[in-house]
Amino acid sequence: MRNLLDSVLKPVRRASGAGSAQFAEWFMQSRHRFTITGLSRSGKSMLFTSLMTILKYRSEQQYQCLPLLRYLPMDLVENMWVEPLGDLPEFPVEEHMAALEQGEWPPATESVAGFQLTVRLRQTHSVKKYLLPFTDIVFEFIDYPGEWLTDLPMLDKSFTQWSDSAWAQQMNEPQNQFAKDWHEAVSGFDFEQPPTPDAINLLVSKYREYLLAAKAQGISMLQPGSFLIPGSGFDWQEYGFTPLPSRISSDLSSPWTQRFTYHFEVFQKNWLAALKQSTFRETDKQIILVDLFEGLNHSKSHLYQLRETLSNLAQTFVYGDPGWVQRHLLRQQKIAKVAFVATKSDLIPAAQKDNLLALLKDVTRGATAQLDKDEIQFEHFLVSAIQATDAGSNEQALRYVNSEGRYMEATFEPLPDSLKAMPADEHYPALPAGVPKDHLARILNGNGLDRLFQYLLED
Amino acid sequence: MSTTEKTYRSKVTQTEIDMQPPDHAMPAKRDAEPLTVVEPAKGFSAKWLALLSGIGCVVGFSLFEAVTFIESNFASSPIATSVLAVVLGVFVLSVSFMTLGEVRGYRKVTQFIHRRPKLSELARNDARQATLDALQLHASQFTRHSYAEQCYKRFTGLLKADHSSAEIVEMYRQFVAQPVKAKASEVVKKESMASGSMAFISPNHLIQSLMILWISMRTIKRVAKVYGLRPATAGNWKLMKILAQNLAAQSIFDLATDEMTNQLSGSLAAKLMENSAEAVAAGALNVRLGKTLMRLLEEEK
Repeated sequence: MRNLLDSVLKPVRRASGAGSAQFAEWFMQSRHRFTITGLSRSGKSMLFTSLMTILKYRSEQQYQCLPLLRYLPMDLVENMWVEPLGDLPEFPVEEHMAALEQGEWPPATESVAGFQLTVRLRQTHSVKKYLLPFTDIVFEFIDYPGEWLTDLPMLDKSFTQWSDSAWAQQMNEPQNQFAKDWHEAVSGFDFEQPPTPDAINLLVSKYREYLLAAKAQGISMLQPGSFLIPGSGFDWQEYGFTPLPSRISSDLSSPWTQRFTYHFEVFQKNWLAALKQSTFRETDKQIILVDLFEGLNHSKSHLYQLRETLSNLAQTFVYGDPGWVQRHLLRQQKIAKVAFVATKSDLIPAAQKDNLLALLKDVTRGATAQLDKDEIQFEHFLVSAIQATDAGSNEQALRYVNSEGRYMEATFEPLPDSLKAMPADEHYPALPAGVPKDHLARILNGNGLDRLFQYLLED
Repeated sequence: MSTTEKTYRSKVTQTEIDMQPPDHAMPAKRDAEPLTVVEPAKGFSAKWLALLSGIGCVVGFSLFEAVTFIESNFASSPIATSVLAVVLGVFVLSVSFMTLGEVRGYRKVTQFIHRRPKLSELARNDARQATLDALQLHASQFTRHSYAEQCYKRFTGLLKADHSSAEIVEMYRQFVAQPVKAKASEVVKKESMASGSMAFISPNHLIQSLMILWISMRTIKRVAKVYGLRPATAGNWKLMKILAQNLAAQSIFDLATDEMTNQLSGSLAAKLMENSAEAVAAGALNVRLGKTLMRLLEEEK
């Protein structure tokens, strides 16, 4: 009898359980999907580490961090927890904190990781608190190597289109400074020989050498970036390809063009399409991290190529405001809010921050023009995930401990407020700040994250 | 790899300094350091000194007169004359000190009301320093260890060099204005409960009015203290206009309940009903008093 009753009630219970979970998801959860788009070395991993640490200490130990984040008022936060995000590996926050403890910055990301962070807020409304006692704010974050991001625009191109555009980029400043050997190798290469695996490997390794050298010199637009890191799931040794000179790429009967077109399509289908589906999933908010110091450290032409890279990337994502019905009932996601963020803003004196913000606006001009066209909200922010520097002896100076443990004072000449104002023969060397001993306090005293997330979360 | 790297002039000059980097403090905690209002040590207050020395004078002069009357030799009693002179001196000094305190308290009320920050205007101000100065000017009036002063200290600890005027004002609202308002509302709530209870148990209207007067004065004092204002007795005159409204309204309510009581022939039930109604009214009017005072001490709209 009991078994019979159980068998009857089981589906009812299951339906009821599923119903209550659905009810909770619909009415008690506010889900925010963030795409954090950042090129290699833009500080994504440190930002995630800092954000998780700050929210943990704010929620569990009541440290008054993020004072401008009114969307998550401290006195209403009941609990916070981190869960895995789908099948993605967990974000290694513990390893990153351990690295900081050892005096080392978190290592560069070489594979994808993700997490879902839920903050539970108490309901204060006198009636609602009996019906919906809490609201969960769910954040989804995915960390990935920045090199993968630069590959996304390749998804919508044919091999010939990509080859021609890559070739054109290599001819421009500053890439042409590092492409000489590669160009010489191509000039001397016999494209009459059949594309055997050995011949392809020779060409691919020469191209890879160029990519690695350019990456070391601060170039961001390098395709395919997936060839540069071991964590990528694409077998570039088997399906490698390189841009070809237009005399070859325009000849569709050339065995090289045919072979590289095939490899390119394998790259698009087996790697990029799957990557976009799993890692660059559709979201409703986007944070675009920009490391201006990489450009300031090298030259004016580096900043110009950063602007070009950001403009290209802006064309990769789907922007638009889907509206309540599309978002909640039809489950359609489009990026409706974008934040451009200059990271590591603690590496300049406070007096120069207005100029840095103006420079950020100028560097992102191409991308914002695209957003303006789609009538998408966007804003610019300066953020430091950790306050690694101290105030200097005057307004234009700051102090930091370098990687050798020496305490240095750096005095800055005024930063340019636009690309035009950046002198062609001058640069601002990036400060090689080491990890401070009091890194936890300096993470909790980080700057700008509250302003950024308040903007993204508020309606 | 041959590269034609250019040489660039550095726009950053660096020097090593012979100092240890400062340790950053962890941000303040919310619960571990609750805002506790430290009451100033209660000693021998000026009021008591004036009262006692006044009594001393009366007693002293009485004694002195008695002695002169009995002995008639005024010149032969120098000690008594000296003591009386000292007591009289203390009395005059303490009365002067108290008067000065009252004048300062009165002026403080006027200043406090006139120096209230116009937060919405400050938020629009481009000059960050001017916004900070305006808030600091207002905060400089907070009495030491008051709730408002502690909230303000916490607020200043959260400020960062790149916060704009609008953000500073938003943080001021979040960390000073709103907690102070919430605390003042708590005080008003407690006081109105006390006012209602007193009105309920008062045997007649005279005692009831005195009780309400006392609670109302106490409400003014306690609410003002939350806002960091210590108005002293004379300063309360500034706030007495509101109190007068409170008491006038109470008297009108008395007339209404008296008439209702007459109609009900003075039964016990009617008495209970009268007292209950008056208790509710006294509590409600005390809330009105407190809310009006809070509006008077909050940011200028």
